[in-house]
Amino acid sequence: MSLRIMFKMLQRHALMPTLVMLQVALACAILCNVLFLVWQRVQPMVAPSGLAEDELVLVDQIFSRTHTFSAAEAHAGQLALAHTPGVRSASSALGLPMIGMVMVDYNLKSPKGVTVGVNGYFGEGLVKTLGLQLVEGRDFLPSEYRDFGITQQSSDVDKPSSPEPVIITQSLERQLFDGQSAVGKNLSVTDDPEHGYFVVGVVRHLLRNQLTLATDGRGDNTLLAAKRIGDTALLSYAVRIDPAMRDVAMHGISETVKRQFGAEMGEDAQVRIATYAQTRHEALKSQRAALWLFAGVTIAVILVTAIGIMGLTGFWVQRRTRQIGIQRALGARRSQVLRYFMLENLLIAGGGVLVGMALAYVANGLLMHYYELPRLPWNYLPIGGAAVLLLGQLAVLAPARRAAEVPPVVATRAI
Amino acid sequence: MFGYYLDLALRSLGRNKVLTALMVLAIAVGIGASMTTLTVVHLLSGDPLPGRSQAIFYPQVDADPKNKDSSEPLDMLDYRSALDLWSAKRADRQVMLVQSQVRLNTADAGKPAVMMPMLSATADFFSMFNVPFRYGGPWSEQDDASRARVAVITDDLNQKLFAGENSVGRVLRLRNSDVRIVGVLKPWRPSPQFYAVRGGRFAAGDTSDFYAKPEDVITPFFTGLDVNDGNFQQFTCWQMPPHPGHLQDSPCVWVAFWVQINDANRVAAYRRFVADYAAQQQAIGRFTHSGNTRMRSLMGWLDFNGVLPSNVRLQAWLAVAFLAICLVNMIGLLLAKFLRRSGEIGLRRALGASRAAVFAQYMVESGLIGLIGGVCGWLLTMAGLWFIRQQPVAYADLARLDVPMFLLTFVAAIGASLLAGALPAVRACRVVPAWQLKSL
Repeated sequence: MSLRIMFKMLQRHALMPTLVMLQVALACAILCNVLFLVWQRVQPMVAPSGLAEDELVLVDQIFSRTHTFSAAEAHAGQLALAHTPGVRSASSALGLPMIGMVMVDYNLKSPKGVTVGVNGYFGEGLVKTLGLQLVEGRDFLPSEYRDFGITQQSSDVDKPSSPEPVIITQSLERQLFDGQSAVGKNLSVTDDPEHGYFVVGVVRHLLRNQLTLATDGRGDNTLLAAKRIGDTALLSYAVRIDPAMRDVAMHGISETVKRQFGAEMGEDAQVRIATYAQTRHEALKSQRAALWLFAGVTIAVILVTAIGIMGLTGFWVQRRTRQIGIQRALGARRSQVLRYFMLENLLIAGGGVLVGMALAYVANGLLMHYYELPRLPWNYLPIGGAAVLLLGQLAVLAPARRAAEVPPVVATRAI
Repeated sequence: MFGYYLDLALRSLGRNKVLTALMVLAIAVGIGASMTTLTVVHLLSGDPLPGRSQAIFYPQVDADPKNKDSSEPLDMLDYRSALDLWSAKRADRQVMLVQSQVRLNTADAGKPAVMMPMLSATADFFSMFNVPFRYGGPWSEQDDASRARVAVITDDLNQKLFAGENSVGRVLRLRNSDVRIVGVLKPWRPSPQFYAVRGGRFAAGDTSDFYAKPEDVITPFFTGLDVNDGNFQQFTCWQMPPHPGHLQDSPCVWVAFWVQINDANRVAAYRRFVADYAAQQQAIGRFTHSGNTRMRSLMGWLDFNGVLPSNVRLQAWLAVAFLAICLVNMIGLLLAKFLRRSGEIGLRRALGASRAAVFAQYMVESGLIGLIGGVCGWLLTMAGLWFIRQQPVAYADLARLDVPMFLLTFVAAIGASLLAGALPAVRACRVVPAWQLKSL
């Protein structure tokens, strides 16, 4: 049967198709947006961290209300931790993966003028302690580290005359230098253009700690700076352990922290010592909760839409039983009847999807306004649309089968 | 007639149980999801001080030398500014307050000391914010001035420490000082904890902590500064504080200051007073600028801080969109159900039933589905709120269905199903009797 006749048919009985279309449009609008929200949440969860995850223990919130830790104390803690049984290396660090308490951010600018927002991690020997994979260039030399702390950062300290060495990730290398090698090249920071940086090494991956920004290819926007932790009120350490001696090492780390800093931390010590896996689990808690919510919404929308399409098409088929009988009597095959209803659904749902995509765009505009969400990339629209079309085809299968089962003899009854 | 239609509706619903169940389910799930989220929105966005909030204001001056007239002032006050404004007593009531973590040692030797949040505020706190007392009462202004070692505790803490007895006159040991209890509050749960709201614009929508419970121990402002010296935390500083935790003369903002002005005509005068104060401070060189003073009303301040967590708002949007799908679904299913009975309608019309009668019959049927859907939706709402109470968020304990939202559940369910039923019912009453009779 030609499409023209099918359109005529739909026009004459416009109410049912309109309802199906409306339902498909709403489902499409919701699913496109939910899909986008899900992907925003999933990206930080699946992004490669670049760390030796099994071997990493993070110690943070070593904090004293009454005492500022000096560079020497920070360094003594690092040494004591490194000499704890079961520990391979330790670094006093500012900014650590999966810990959002302290974040350093830079606006990096390449010589060609490309700017990229990145998180920075400071600390001595972090490449080794975090277990990063160096793919180009070299690690920092011991002589390159400068102290960084409360007194060192204030403006009365002389700016280093030579550019400061940094290590960046492969992803940053691609974004800033267009696929050319970054090693030896200069970078600057938009807030402080006087102060130069140059790249000494490139690591494969390193996940940033501002997780809400770890989306759309920005997960690896991280750099390491050659800074040693100076005097600070808040200390944290990355510790790399021997996984075979995990229990011994965890116990030892906790004892060492107590011995080194227990006196200063005082009555309300909130120090946290956890493996990377535990910290990650904790950091991604809200993302997981949101995913469950979105999964629930998706399933409910799919179910309700499927029920609606099945109910309406079932009724539609029932009303046209006699017509179908006549078609069958005139020689239409079962498969043709089946295909007719499937195609009809495809047309109606297609119309609905077009309306739905427009609606999705409008809804995203509202979400952007009220929920600080980025603009919905256009490619989510066809993906959501295709999913809804598929849903429509599956839902119409049962009623269409029933239509195909109508025997030709119906045509002869009660005319 | 209504009884007859109800009987017809019941029969009709019983005839096709699956279809009926699907419709009831659609409306129940839609109503359940939207009422759950709307209840949370309703509970979190209400006025924490009904009848009083329009008279409460949050004056701000800006001591940060790095800011300019064009920048938003810092969210709290430095000690000096707060003290000056408070001492001027130009408003009907004024309160300075600050929160800190304090160690509470119970007299019982068996129980270990616990860290708990403490609020330190000046005496007007209780009268200004309508805080209800169970036993005793607030301390006096005299106690403020003399730094009296007194405290008010919440009902929660009174239950925990004194099994709910009248504990006025008993002694608490806060850090190294003994304070005498002068008052015990009735259960008091403002939503949000409005007097502690600040910094919402830096929270990126994650504002659920604004709905925390009030602090269990409340002491006079200056008493608190003495008792817990060294344990205060700044909102922010523009230089490193010389003595962390002791902020009285630090380059930090850390004190919240609220005023009550009953006469609307005097609000402008107070606003001017705040601006004049800043200008005067600039003149003596303590401020670098004075053009960005603010005085938002309580609700304005809550608005400015975007207190409603953005994921709560998102959930409400999703739920309402979902309800729309459910409604369209129900229109379709009702249409299918009603028009399937075209023969029956034709017969009724041929026997003399008017169109209005047929319309009424089908509206009663839709309304009945709405009522059943409403009952199920109410149960689902209760389940949804229970689920929210299990979540680790500060407002979890607030998530309960109040009477207006309970009524709204049924109004919404029946209203929605009548709305959904209108179109199918109109179609049903337009059935031409003769055609249908012929095909019977």
